[in-house]
Formats: sequence, structure tokens, C-alpha cells
Amino acid sequence: MNCDFILTTCPFCGCGCNLYLQVLDNQVTGIIPCKTDPISEGKLCIKGRHAHEFIHHADRLRTPLIRQGGRFRKASWAKALDVVSQRLSSIKRDFGPNAVAFLSSAKCTNEENFALMKFARTVIGTNNIDHCARLCHASTVTGLMSAFGSGAMTNSIPEIENADCIFVIGSNTIEQHPLIGARIVKAKEKGAKLIVADPRRTALVSYADVYLQIKPGTDVCLLNGFMNTLLQAGLIDNRFITERTEGFEAFRKKIEEYTPERVRKLAGINKNELQKAALAYGKAERATIIYAMGVTQHTTGTDNVRSCANLALLTGNVGRESTGVNPLRGQNNVQGACDMGALPNFYSGYQSVEDKAARGKFEGKWNTELPSQPGLTEVEMTDAAFEGSIKAMYIVGENPMLSEPFVGRVREALEALDFLVVQDVFLSETAKLADVVLPAASFAEKEGTFTNTDRRVLRVRKAIETVGESRPDWVIISQLAQRMGSDQFDYNSAPDIMMEISALTPIYGGISHERLDIGESLAWPCPRPDHLGTKFLHQGTFTRGKGCFTPVDYIEPAEMPDEEFPFILTTGRLMFHFHTGTITRRIPILDSEVSSGFVEVNPQDAQRLGIGQRSKVVVASRRGQIEVSASVTDRVPSGVVFIPFHFAECVANVLTAANLDPEAKIPELKVCAVNIKRRRKNA
Amino acid sequence: MDTNSETKKVGAVLVLGGGIGGIQASLDLAESGFLVYLVESSPAIGGIMAQLDKTFPTNDCSMCILAPKLVEAGRHLNIELITNAEVEEVSGEAGRFRVKIVRKPRYIDLEKCTGCGLCAQTELPPESELKETEGEIWVDRIMIDESKCIQCGDCVQACIEENKERQGLANIAFQRRQFLWLPPEEREGRAPETLMQTIALMDVASRNDFWQRELSKCIKCYGCRDVCPICICDECDLESADWIAPGQIPPDFPLFHLIRAYHVADSCVGCGACEATCPMNIPLLSIHNWVHRQDPQKLFELVPGLDPKTRRKLIDNVKRTPIAKRKVRV
Repeated sequence: MNCDFILTTCPFCGCGCNLYLQVLDNQVTGIIPCKTDPISEGKLCIKGRHAHEFIHHADRLRTPLIRQGGRFRKASWAKALDVVSQRLSSIKRDFGPNAVAFLSSAKCTNEENFALMKFARTVIGTNNIDHCARLCHASTVTGLMSAFGSGAMTNSIPEIENADCIFVIGSNTIEQHPLIGARIVKAKEKGAKLIVADPRRTALVSYADVYLQIKPGTDVCLLNGFMNTLLQAGLIDNRFITERTEGFEAFRKKIEEYTPERVRKLAGINKNELQKAALAYGKAERATIIYAMGVTQHTTGTDNVRSCANLALLTGNVGRESTGVNPLRGQNNVQGACDMGALPNFYSGYQSVEDKAARGKFEGKWNTELPSQPGLTEVEMTDAAFEGSIKAMYIVGENPMLSEPFVGRVREALEALDFLVVQDVFLSETAKLADVVLPAASFAEKEGTFTNTDRRVLRVRKAIETVGESRPDWVIISQLAQRMGSDQFDYNSAPDIMMEISALTPIYGGISHERLDIGESLAWPCPRPDHLGTKFLHQGTFTRGKGCFTPVDYIEPAEMPDEEFPFILTTGRLMFHFHTGTITRRIPILDSEVSSGFVEVNPQDAQRLGIGQRSKVVVASRRGQIEVSASVTDRVPSGVVFIPFHFAECVANVLTAANLDPEAKIPELKVCAVNIKRRRKNA
Repeated sequence: MDTNSETKKVGAVLVLGGGIGGIQASLDLAESGFLVYLVESSPAIGGIMAQLDKTFPTNDCSMCILAPKLVEAGRHLNIELITNAEVEEVSGEAGRFRVKIVRKPRYIDLEKCTGCGLCAQTELPPESELKETEGEIWVDRIMIDESKCIQCGDCVQACIEENKERQGLANIAFQRRQFLWLPPEEREGRAPETLMQTIALMDVASRNDFWQRELSKCIKCYGCRDVCPICICDECDLESADWIAPGQIPPDFPLFHLIRAYHVADSCVGCGACEATCPMNIPLLSIHNWVHRQDPQKLFELVPGLDPKTRRKLIDNVKRTPIAKRKVRV
């Protein structure tokens, strides 16, 4: 009997809690929290405590599958890799490299994202690589890049505890980032003021000093009004503005247009509440802004993020401890996947593909010519596939059939492809459409690193041998690359890839598996092997030099309710499930907590429409309709309905629209117009 | 042989931690001729193993292995036990360390204490009455645990009444007496209140509010149950949809935590793992401490299932909350 405890990192949200896997004879039998971990401090949420239960699940993909005559047949690795390499080569030969597109995975390690990014750019020669950050925090990267010069959380998670005022906007923190939510509650108990702005009455609202129930999509209006109030009250940091920022005058004129009266009319927040919130934020010594998808998933996502940055600049709440603008990244490694350059316009470490010097560096190291045009983003890939300019897609650990907006069109697009490869741990809804399915190893079966939301690089360690014939993603990619004639992929282990990453990526320059293995907790930028990592960004000077104010105007969401579709649909997640539910719906305790989807309807609306608790309703938009049971609750205001997007039997994204933010190309998943009706019997 | 008194090695060893590992090390060292100082932070040696029933993986009786060693360590001439103490400072080099040890207050003057045990009886249940061992009364275990003391002063009262001349409870403890009856303005400036004291000072309504507020922080991770060393049931009432609607954050019936508190009341070892692992920092150990100490009537104004009136109250309460999906039989 062989018993072992392996320290690794939780595969769910961006908190990045360390935990121990209990291993008994090559079986993961349990999870023990890690008391010395600075993030979790020996605490975990329900998902973390049961994260091991999917590892040995009967549904795990155990062999490669190849579609033959409409059915999947088991195949050997040699056969499957041959098929993939031949098809990709022939499509590249016939239609050019840009006919192939890659979706990387925020569930995979940094090393794997780097390998896939390198594969797309060297072996195929295309910049068509993206991942699910496009659907969650693309606007954070564009917005904060232009304001500060770095598109990540400015401060670290433990600092939240010591803030004097916490402004949470568009984040259901307690449910989506429980360990960060707990820190907010702790800060509140220590005496911090808590302001929550959200259209939906989330669990955090019961702790709030001020709750601003805004209309969906009016964040810019609220924030501009907020800043106008601060300006009128004289609660701005003039010294900070003159010394460390630029563009203030133009910005000042813009926010003066947003009077409390206008905010009341557009966002539905009255003057008193607005003033109370603004004063609490403005008077605090250390005020921090925490935001998530409620801010980013809009056609005005970049504007929303810039407004958050403006607010922090206006009050001088950046570059100090327990302050900052803190986007909470959703996936365990979505920060890392962005850092590793699984993006159409950046190499690893946000080095632009259009920058000749950066491209030259990568070309020199990889000994090949690289494309200079930025590639397509995730939703654009779907469009291109739909129109036929993309012929093949290689999807690693993503499930766009549930997560992308306007799923009906996604299905048509994926079906229109000549060739689709999906690499995943389970046969997801997307994998069911694939030509070749490659079984990947789970987080417990491979070595690597994740980067959590506060930029901390965390080790993932191998606890058991791979399940069935599955292989770690980097192994699959390397073997495929070798089959396709590349000599740049002779990696023996994940640390080899990390060495290449740190050589090519200045912000990861000092990070290595050896350092992480002796227990160092490193947050990038960490440029040298003797650098101890950066707890908070922009101290003394901004990454881009000076902080940049951007005047931002309020623009309505792309699709507003009308007579035919009178309700605003906002989508989101639940405590007990994760994203497309591929993993969490296979964990018994999570499934027993919430086993299927629902639509939250305000009691007033429900009464008017004759909808009772748990009655079946049909929710329809211009793009499709779903059948789902109703949950009548005052958590949502009248005129707004909420549907979680985890559930394959009632896919919320059938309804959502693929309207994109012009800069970040993030779809507006938080606002679309729907109508809702009781399901007629026998209809 | 080195005879220089500056560099001469000392024939004494300090073992830090009086769990099974520390005890065994002390015994081995003592047998080899070293003088051993065994320092332990809790009031008694034995550690976690003393709380266990069986040991992994052989399933041996834990106490059968531990008890002879405890006795031996307690009696060994070469072992000096320093319990209820912490190491503050270590200086010197290998072979001749100087260690500064801080003994925590016991609040008992052991020279005066007669070992009558009446102080303990005021709070502990009768079966933990102190025992006489070989003609001597075992007084070593009497100690006021600061984290749990609510400063009611009953122990001091008992000591004064029984021992008119020699009062073993030392002055500090004596000062604690009647803390609860002091007016609030006089309480200020004294040692800060522990959570237990704060709760003790609340009236019933605000105590109820306190628990409602604390327990409604629950995010249903089931961590308290999962890490509990004595929670072993196959089926758990906490997951029962009859009591508490699944998938609700915060839970609409926060007091469902008391189901577990009373379920484990008689076997809780007070390890505090539940509180340590709670992501929302609910003071779960305090619930258990209270449940140990007092009956539910005193704590929550309720005696479940005793008289029809209270039973009615309980059922009404369950009916009022939306969790009662199934019909309650009355």
C-alpha cells in the first residue's frame, strides 16, 4: 500500500488555493486544505474540497477517438496523431496557415498554453490563437493596458483584508471567488466600508454598507456620476493627478456632464445612495475596486474597465498596499493563459506580434519566420468558420458550445469546419462535434504551473499516473509538432518549457520550477532569479509611465428590451458549478446542490405572467429559445431575469447575442433582450 | 575531553512538544543518560494520539500504546515535564543551548491548592471529578483555560467556600470574580473580552442575532463536517433537503449548523479543526464550547422535543421557513 500527499493547486476559480491530494495506490481519494498557503490559509470552498472526484470518473476519455461514418471509434495514439497531422498539413497547404485556428485553455498549465501558442505560430504559422479570456476579461487587458500599462490585478489577494473601503462592482465574489469573498467579509468586520454595485442582489449584498442596484449595462454612467460626486465634494488626490497621470482636463469635462440627476435617470440610482457610496470611497485612506464579469462582458466592456481605472487614478488609489483596481479572473489559469500569449495579438508576456523587436527575438529563438498580422479572436473565429474562411480548428479544453454567445450559430460554424480536433478530459458538447478527440490528462496527472488572479505562479504537481491512455496536453502538442516535422518541441518535461518561457518572457524571467518547489511564492513581474516577485503593481511609476485618464461616454447596451422582448437577460455562474459544468456536474455533491438550470424572475413579473415557483417557462430571444424552470426571487429586480450558463440541457447562451466590444472583441453576455412565457401544456 | 567551561557540552536535552513523538524521544534520551526537559504548550502531555481511538494503519488501540509511555515519562527521574509553557528564545550553539521558556499562567497556586476539585465541579460534569491516585490527589490538571473562561467566578466562589484558609485559586483568578456583574464602564480597561465572554454578556435576543448573523455567513462548503475527526456518518443530515434547501447562498435557515453541533456534542474533542477550516471564519468552536458547557435551553431558549409547547414552537419555526417541503407530522 502506497500513501502520499501531493501539494498542488485547485483547478477551479482564479483564487488559486493550494491543497493536498491524498493518494492511495495511484487513486486520488481525498483533499486536505493547506494551512501554510497564503491564499487559502487552510480553508476551501465546496468545489475545492471535492475537486478530486472527477479524476477517476467513468466518463473520462481514456483513448483517442476518430469519427468514422458519423460515429466515434477508438483509435491508437499513433493513428490519431497521424490523422491530425495529415489533415492539418493538407489544410495548411491548400488554404494557407490562416485557415487553421486554435483555442487554448485556461484550465491547462502555463507550459501547455505556451506550447500550443508556439505550435500555432511556428508549426502552422498563424496568429489565430485565442482562449476563453476573450469571453471574460479581454476588456480588462485592453482597458487596464491603456490606463496603467498592465492588464492584471494590481494588488494581491491577502491585501484586501486591510482595505478601508472596498468597492465591488459586477462581481458575485462570495459565490465565484469564495476565498476572496471571505476576505472582503473579514475586511468588513475589521471596519472597512463595503459598496456593492450589481443589478442582482448577490450574497455579498447582505454585508454591504451601500448597495447600488444599477440597471444592467449602465456601469459607465454610474462610475462617471460617482466620480462627478467626488469631484464636487473635493475628494480627489490633486497631487497624484499632477504627478503621476495625464489627460485629466479632457476627462474632467466629460465627467462633469454626469450629474446625479442623469445617473438617476439612466442607471436608476438616487442621489443619496450615490453620494453615500462616493463619500465612503473618497474618504477612505486605502480604497480598492474589485470587479469581474459584470463590468467586462459588455459591448462597452473596455469603457467600463477604463472607468474603474479612472476612479482609482482620480483618488490616487493605485500603487499602494490594499488599494488598486482588481479584476477577478474566473479560471484557475486564465491569467496564465493570457501571460503565455494564447492571444491573437501577443506573444508571452504581452509582447506584441506587431512589434518587430519582439518578433525578432521569438524568431531567433525558434529559428523560424513568424506571422506579423494579429490573428482572429474567439468569436471572430466562429464567424470566420461560419463564412468558410477557417477550415480547421484545434480546441484544447474549451467548450464553446456552451460558453460562446449565440450557440445556435456556433454549432453551425463548427459543423461547417472541414476538420475539428478537440482535446479534453471529458466528451464535452463541443467534443461531440469533433472529427478527432484526444484524451487529455487532468490536473492531478501532470506537472506544471498555474498563474492565479493576483499574478502568483503556483505549482501543479503530478499525483497519479495518467488515467487510461490520456496524456498531458503538452505531451500531445509536442508529439504532434514532431510528427509535423518541427524540431523545436523536444521537451522532456514541463520544467524544460518553463525554462524557455522565462528566457523569452521578461515578466516571468526569474520564475522556475526549482524556485517554486522550495516554497517561494512568486507573483510576476519577476524579472530575475533573485527577484522576490511583485506584491502590488505601479508603485512609484506606472508600467506605461504615467496613468492615463480616458474620457468615457455612456453607450447603451447593443440590444435593449422592446415590446416583443421586454426583459433584460443577464447570465452568470453559481457557487456550486463551474463554467460549462463538464467537470462539476460529474461531482455528486455539487450536482445534488444544484442539479439543473433555472431562470430567476422577480415576484412582480412572475405574478403578472402567471409564473409560479418551479413552473416550466420558455425563455426566448431573437436567436433561440430554451425551456427552463422558474425560480421566483427578489434577487433580481423587475424587468431583469438571470440564467446560469452551466447547464447543457438549458443553455443560456442559446439566447445571448454575439455583439462585440469594438476593441476587446468581448461579447455582451450580460445584456440581451428576451421574453418569457409559461410553457403551454401539450405545446 | 573538553574541559573549558565556555565550550563544554551540556548533558541535557530539551524536547519540544509532548505528543507521542516527543514522549518517545524523551524516553529514549533519558534512558541513554541525558537529562530531558520536555516542554509542551498544552496543560498536559499526550497530544493528538491521546484523542484518538485507533491508530492507522494497524488499527491498534491508541491509548494502549500511549498510556504506559505517559506514565513512564511522568515518573522518569531524568525527565522534567514543563507543561503549559512555550519556548520564547533559543541562543547558543549545538551542544550548549540556552532556552528561555515562558510558562503560561495557570491561575492556580499549586502550593495552596488542596485538590478538593470543587472549583472544577462548578462547570465540568460530575464524572470529571478529580481522582485520588496512590494517596495523592492529582491536581495537575486544574487550570483555567483562558480561551474558554467566561469569568463567571463560580470556581473562585467554590474555592473560598470550601477552603476558608488556603485558597488555591490565585489572586489573578480572584480578580476575575464577579466580572460579569461589573457595570460596562468598569469593564473597560480590563483584559479584552474573549469571544466566549462577549457571548456570555449578551442577552438572549442579541445572542440569537449574533448566531444568526455568524451562521448566515455559511457558504455551504461542508468543510466543518469534512475535516471533523469524529464525523463519520454515512448519511449526513446537513445535506438533507428537508431541513435546508440545496443550492442556496446564504442558507435560508442558518441555524441548521446546530444540527451538527448537538449531533457531535458528546464526542467533540475540541480540536478546533472546523473553525480553522471555515472559509467564512464562523466561530464554530465557540458553538461547540457552549454546547459542551450548557444545555440548549440556556443557550437557545429551547428544549427540543420535551414539552408539547416547545415542540410546537420548533415545528412552527420549521414551517415558517421555506425549507419544510415535506409535511411535518405533529
